[in-house]
Amino acid sequence: MATIIECSGLVKTFGATSALDGLDLRVAHGEVHGFLGPNGSGKTVTIRVLLGLLRQNDGEARLFGADPWKHAVALHRRLAYVPGDTNLWPNLTGGEIIDLLGDLRGGLDETRRDDLIERFDLDPTKKARAYSKGNRQKVALVSALASDAELLILDEPTAGLDPLMEAVFQDVVLDVVANGRTVLLSSHILAEVERLCDRVTIIRKGRAVESGSLADLRVLSRTTMTAGIDGDSSAIADLAGVHEFRRDGSQVTFEVDHGAMSDVVRHLATFDVSSLSSTPPTLEQLFLRHYDDELRSLSETT
Amino acid sequence: MTIDAAPTASCFAVPSAPVDARITDTLVGTRRLMRLVLRRDRARLSLWVVGLVGLMAVSARSIASLYETPGQIRTYVDTVGDNPALVMFAGPGYGFDDATVGAILVNETSLWVALAAALMNVFLVVRHTRTEEDTERLDLVGSLVVGRHAPAAATLLVAGMANLAVAVGCTVAAIAFGFATAGSIALGASIGLTGLAFGAASAAGAQVASTGRSALGASVGLVGLAFVVRGIGDVAAPALSWSTPFGWGLGVRAFAGERWWTLLGLVGFAIGLFVFAVWLSARRDLGSGLLSQHTGPATASPSTRRPLGLAVRIQRVVFVGWAVGIVAAGLVYGSLADEIEAMVADNPELADYFAGAGGATLAESYLATTMQMMALVIGGYAISATLRTRHGEIRGTAESMLATPLTRWWWAGSTLVVATVTSLLLVGVAGLTIGMSYAASVGDWSEIGTMMVAASSVAPTVLVLIGVATMLFGWVPRATVAAWGVLAFVAIVTLFGPVLRLPDWVVDLSPLARMSAVPAEDWNTTSVVVMMVVAAALVAVGLVGFARRDLATG
Repeated sequence: MATIIECSGLVKTFGATSALDGLDLRVAHGEVHGFLGPNGSGKTVTIRVLLGLLRQNDGEARLFGADPWKHAVALHRRLAYVPGDTNLWPNLTGGEIIDLLGDLRGGLDETRRDDLIERFDLDPTKKARAYSKGNRQKVALVSALASDAELLILDEPTAGLDPLMEAVFQDVVLDVVANGRTVLLSSHILAEVERLCDRVTIIRKGRAVESGSLADLRVLSRTTMTAGIDGDSSAIADLAGVHEFRRDGSQVTFEVDHGAMSDVVRHLATFDVSSLSSTPPTLEQLFLRHYDDELRSLSETT
Repeated sequence: MTIDAAPTASCFAVPSAPVDARITDTLVGTRRLMRLVLRRDRARLSLWVVGLVGLMAVSARSIASLYETPGQIRTYVDTVGDNPALVMFAGPGYGFDDATVGAILVNETSLWVALAAALMNVFLVVRHTRTEEDTERLDLVGSLVVGRHAPAAATLLVAGMANLAVAVGCTVAAIAFGFATAGSIALGASIGLTGLAFGAASAAGAQVASTGRSALGASVGLVGLAFVVRGIGDVAAPALSWSTPFGWGLGVRAFAGERWWTLLGLVGFAIGLFVFAVWLSARRDLGSGLLSQHTGPATASPSTRRPLGLAVRIQRVVFVGWAVGIVAAGLVYGSLADEIEAMVADNPELADYFAGAGGATLAESYLATTMQMMALVIGGYAISATLRTRHGEIRGTAESMLATPLTRWWWAGSTLVVATVTSLLLVGVAGLTIGMSYAASVGDWSEIGTMMVAASSVAPTVLVLIGVATMLFGWVPRATVAAWGVLAFVAIVTLFGPVLRLPDWVVDLSPLARMSAVPAEDWNTTSVVVMMVVAAALVAVGLVGFARRDLATG
């Protein structure tokens, strides 16, 4: 599969502060790629480098195989971008701004524009200064989604949208991808990421700490098991690969490393098991695990 | 404050009348907000205060050394005293019958320093009231324990402190260079209080306007209007002068038998306008203006879909507002030129003086001066129109535009083209209207052509200012405010150059000083061409810088 976005070893510093510290990012054609990380971890800086608005100090960025700084204009014909906090020209109407941005990108599909305006329930005759944050966001979304861009770069695009509009957004993105387009989605809404994304990259302090399909990431992580066991089951806690063992009456809960699963299941069979369930890690758990050490290192330093 | 236990049923009742809050409740948090305003503006305000006081100090020093003997003072009064052109741009010349050096100080500095103080107040007040609402930060502040009028009150109190500092500074500066104590106090106080009156006026303007930008436009327009009206009043209809704070400020007659009560008039202006602002604020919602918002087209017209068309669309309303102001000022200033000719006929001494100075008539030198003033004012428009680029960069609209297949050259270039064309149009409109009204009053239509030549002669100054702003935008985006410093420098050289006896090399740094003052002087092709080349070079270098740098949103 063709690679649409390829960053390797991106470094960007602003004076003494380092925003990106050797970031790698690969987005393949036709996927929705989740781009996750805590606030200030460098997501927006990465996107600005990809848009050719900032120039990296070191490393390489490739968009459709070309340098985004040198070929910014040519590349922008093939992408549409939605910023996380959309600022608009206060004295233009929403409709005018949609057309303006669409036209500058090289035209937008009028029927899709009107359809999206309706689906997002947006009044295009209002001046931008009268819009709420959510409505400003809709203006940027409609304009981007109505374009024919091959790549959509969405930086927390649904911040400020209500749950109904969030659902509309997810449906539209799935339509877009079904048409063979590619999406880079930076988001904090994990349910959105779980529903939309094929693969995710988690970054921290300007560096990718995890990247892969959700299934891969789950496999790499611990699975939570809950079992009803009569009698003494404390020996389970001593098994290799078992963590966070807890017992509440006959109910035991513990986490199992991916590689230790078959050993643990085999051992469980020696007990009097009345019930058994296994839950793969949620994205939230995956996500929090990476933030955990940050929390821990924070509490250590204080 | 006690809270009465209310019957349960009333929890569901909508109060029929607003809760009768005490005035002190609406001012809760004022002190804390004052600290916030001071914190945010400490550098800005210090610069203003030091600049204004410094201007007064160097003027006072220079005037004290230039006019030491009664003979020197008499020469000044004889040549300047009854000159209506200077009455227009300096003041009525109170105390010239029995002149002292103090009267000269007032004539040379008072009006312009008061004008600058008025602008300081307008910028401060609009920035912390209406503009703050636009950014929605005031919503956040409003969600805290803060009374409804606290933000405006805090801003005006800070403005009061800044004006007090200017007033005290100017007074001390004048006394330090040997001017009479009472007159110095009257001069300082009139400047500070004139500033405060305009601060209160813009607090009211901020309530009426629908955005911070329009509030700023309206308030600066009001200052300009007051300035022009005071000028007309002192030349032709003294009663008119008293409708403006400038008239009351000059009316204190510093160094010429002070009339202290006019200062009370200024205090009255300030209090009245502030109360009016509070009254207005109770009649509108946060974030909206009293002037309602209209809806607009649901689709973009073909021209708005292009960067150039967008730049036109954004600048349209601002340009029309400026054009109206320039037309009005041009017609007024042009028509007064004839009045000046008439007065000169009664004063052969004055005619001799001007005949001696390079052969220009009084009307010609007045018209040339007027055109220079217009160039300075339009220079302000040009800088603000050019810095729309920076504005878009900060707001994030640049990011949205540049994420499309639009080159940086085109994006910045369209704004610059619009800034340049509209600025030149304004200079042309100024020349045309001054020329038309002067031509009509003297019955000689060739004067229109003469004034168009005068306009062409100062126009390159405006282009150089656009170049300077572009240069700063391209290379040091966070320092674009320095473009205003350059305009201030050009204004000081033009207005105070002679009095300050600035060295030639300093005067020559001002592009306006390099241009010949048509019709008092002859058209000079070389300086026009050179300045246009300089302007073009500045723009080109600025654009190269912008194409090479990171987008700087902060």
